Amino acid sequence: MEGICHKRMVIASDLEAARQVENTILDEVERYGYSDASAFSIRLAIEEGLNNAIKHGNGYDPNKTVQVAFAVTPQQVVISITDEGPGFDPARVPDPTCDENLEKPCGRGIMLMRAYMDEIHYNPCGNQVRMVKKNS
Amino acid sequence: MSITDSDTPYADSELVLDVLQVGPAVVVRIAGSAGMREAEQMRAALEKLADDKPPLIVLDLSSMEFICSMGLGAIIQSHLRSRHHNGQVRLVNPQPAVLDLLETTRLNKLFQIYPSVEQAVRT
Repeated sequence: MEGICHKRMVIASDLEAARQVENTILDEVERYGYSDASAFSIRLAIEEGLNNAIKHGNGYDPNKTVQVAFAVTPQQVVISITDEGPGFDPARVPDPTCDENLEKPCGRGIMLMRAYMDEIHYNPCGNQVRMVKKNS
Repeated sequence: MSITDSDTPYADSELVLDVLQVGPAVVVRIAGSAGMREAEQMRAALEKLADDKPPLIVLDLSSMEFICSMGLGAIIQSHLRSRHHNGQVRLVNPQPAVLDLLETTRLNKLFQIYPSVEQAVRT
């Protein structure tokens, strides 16, 4: 479809591969003239989603991959990240903004994806996250 | 990432940490992006600085363009390590997007944020 970037990438469970995916998506985001604030949000969500997939989902297992599907249009960015882990229940992740959790070094990724994207959904198993950011 | 204290260059350039001793305080100017790829190195660098037990570590965020949750975790680790010897970590002048992130995570309640390095060191 003309004017729409729709791709699917399968990457190894390592951060360098993740960075390449991130750059590919952000190049499209820039091409469509998204604001700096939107680009910051999208980058943040990609990093959190990929880090969760690589670290928590696949446990850095070199034999496991991460699937990333994305569609960038002038109206919105849709990103889906799927790992090969057993999944988890995002509702059971503690709220990192509670006073008792403020000093914990980890556990902010899901909250940040929710805060910076317009939509975020997990599949029932919890090993796939789908995020949407509107071009505002 | 690179860390410099005048003559200690590392490779890469996504993130640069410039370390400066100001009296008893250690001032770290963090420039660039503290993303998922740089966060672990930043954590190690900040913890190493904290292990020298300075009473105050000032992180100048005025040139930091991006930080993810792992980068925030690195700053928190530095705070926890410093607290072992009653040290403090203070933040200086984050750019609006980074300040928004600190507020969204409520880390602005955990860290004192100053408008300038001078004020952070002096206060």
